Amino acid sequence: MLKRLVLTLISLVFVFTAAGIGLAGETGNARKGKYTYRNVYKSCNEHGEIDSPRPVLNPDAKTQAQWTRVFEKKDFGEFKCNGEWSKLSDKDLNDIYTYLHSYAADSPSPAKCK
Amino acid sequence: MRLKLTHTRYVLFVLWICLLFVAPTPSFAKQEQEAPGLELARQAVKTEKKPTTADHSQFKALQQAFTSGPEISKACISCHTKAADQLKETLHWTWRDANSPKDNQKGKAGYSLNNFCISANGMHDHHCNECHIGWNTEGKKAEIDCLRCHGQKKINWEEVFEDYRYFTESEDPEENALAKDVQAEIREAAQSIGYPTRKNCGSCHFSGGGGDGVKHGDLDSSLINPNRELDVHMGYDGQDFDCVRCHTTVAHKVAGRIYGTPASDTRQSLLEHDMEPKIMCESCHSDNPHQSNSKMNDHTDKVACQSCHVPEFAKVLPVQVWWDWSRAGKKKDGKLYDVKGPFDKPVYQSGRGETKWEKNVIPKYFWFNGSIQGVTAKDIIDPSKLVKLAWPDGDRNDKNARIFPFNVHLGKQPYDTENKTIAAPLLSGEQGYWTTFDWQDSIQRGADYLNLPFSGKIGFVETGYVFPSTHMVAPREEALECNQCHIRPESRLANLTGFYMPGRDRVKPVDIAGWVIVLCSFGGIVLHALGRIFTNGRKKEE
Repeated sequence: MLKRLVLTLISLVFVFTAAGIGLAGETGNARKGKYTYRNVYKSCNEHGEIDSPRPVLNPDAKTQAQWTRVFEKKDFGEFKCNGEWSKLSDKDLNDIYTYLHSYAADSPSPAKCK
Repeated sequence: MRLKLTHTRYVLFVLWICLLFVAPTPSFAKQEQEAPGLELARQAVKTEKKPTTADHSQFKALQQAFTSGPEISKACISCHTKAADQLKETLHWTWRDANSPKDNQKGKAGYSLNNFCISANGMHDHHCNECHIGWNTEGKKAEIDCLRCHGQKKINWEEVFEDYRYFTESEDPEENALAKDVQAEIREAAQSIGYPTRKNCGSCHFSGGGGDGVKHGDLDSSLINPNRELDVHMGYDGQDFDCVRCHTTVAHKVAGRIYGTPASDTRQSLLEHDMEPKIMCESCHSDNPHQSNSKMNDHTDKVACQSCHVPEFAKVLPVQVWWDWSRAGKKKDGKLYDVKGPFDKPVYQSGRGETKWEKNVIPKYFWFNGSIQGVTAKDIIDPSKLVKLAWPDGDRNDKNARIFPFNVHLGKQPYDTENKTIAAPLLSGEQGYWTTFDWQDSIQRGADYLNLPFSGKIGFVETGYVFPSTHMVAPREEALECNQCHIRPESRLANLTGFYMPGRDRVKPVDIAGWVIVLCSFGGIVLHALGRIFTNGRKKEE
């Protein structure tokens, strides 16, 4: 039982580390990510899914670690506009992640979407 | 028949009694009528907000691809040909009070000082210049930024132009495509033009002095979207006024700024002179605003409307009331640090020193003739007393002075102990105090910018600075009651002496005479009663 537990923990650590390295390894383009992120909401607003074209979450809404967790899990429910998010390529997602991570609440320059 | 007559009399009597109750109703109704001042004000602002006559997105000049801010201003000026020249004549651009003496000119670009970031060092402090209406922080060397006041879309211009340059110059076609999006964003913002909103004015005036609510007390970001409870004029559920509704503007000169020159020379209503700025309460409400039988109308020559109608300020957000620079520069474990206190506001910052904040502040009252007198970086001070950097002018004998409410900010600032002048340290930038934490060096640099001597000897002196409380006008039901001033000893006007105020003051001889009359009357009654008792007793004996 203990052996199984240890193995599971080791596997989990390995998976998260690998994902983290994956995200961190290929740094996206934050500048591009900012506009891709905004475009998600512009087009979502045009479809009438949301009332405002402003992104739902600002970069300073989460810490860097929290953003990493969100993008590792690819759990974008909190962002709304599921249809738009599903259309994004991995490269787009990485750009958006880099943007949000770079201006997170605990980053040197926390930002709001202006 | 006799019974019938009695019955009729009874009915008439009941009717008469009813009439006694009903008859006063019309006079009550009359009292409920709107006060004339309110009615006049409603007429003065009857028209909805200034209607716009132009759709700026239709103008060719604003349909080009913009790569910098000054290009947008150039496009504006291509149609509004006089605007730039007009603006450059105003206090908003010059930061100098043209009516003050040339050799000791007031204003941020002159020798004026304040209780906050102390001095703009003749517009050499780039941090202060962030609020100058230019496209960069170079002060008057910068191009005019028309959108600072007229832009209806908030945008980070520096960032957006940098992004546009980056995407345009990129070799990645995807990024080139994004350049179009960025340009569309720039153009949309450049075309979103209108009269200044509360947000436009507030971007500087709500956060002056280094943050939200630092300076005024009656001006902070809570006024961007206030309710009527906070301000009857600006409240979205009240009159929903923008600032420029009262701060009327002629050739870009916005009414309302006070240095030595009052915001307005007269207190005429628009009925008396239709070109008067609407900056005074009387402009719209007249100087007899209350019901004709109201005692309150007798106050308007000596008590400003604000004294009763702005009973408190900082109603939503706190206001800074104390800033002690003498405590700046401390470190914890070798590092700069901040400490937050009540209201989640800093009470200590290494770069700024100690600060205190308050909410729902009761104003201080002074006689005020409309002018604010101040101490400049050139004036000699008496360090043994509070140095009044900005203080209301006027006294009881000044025919233009009335009792007016103020926000009084106190603090401690560096001064030159030998020259007896308030120091004007350079704060921002690589050589400013916030980087070097060296008072000697930053004061020397500040003095050099102003061409002033500095002995090198520094002390700290207590300073005071006032702001007239004229915004955050409360609903009438929250205006002051008579007994908040006409009372002893907690009168709001307790500090104003040299005149008799019923309810608050006493005149000893009158008081003594009164008590003598009371005691004599009482004595008379007692004597009379005794007389009766004795004389009655005698009668019984007889």
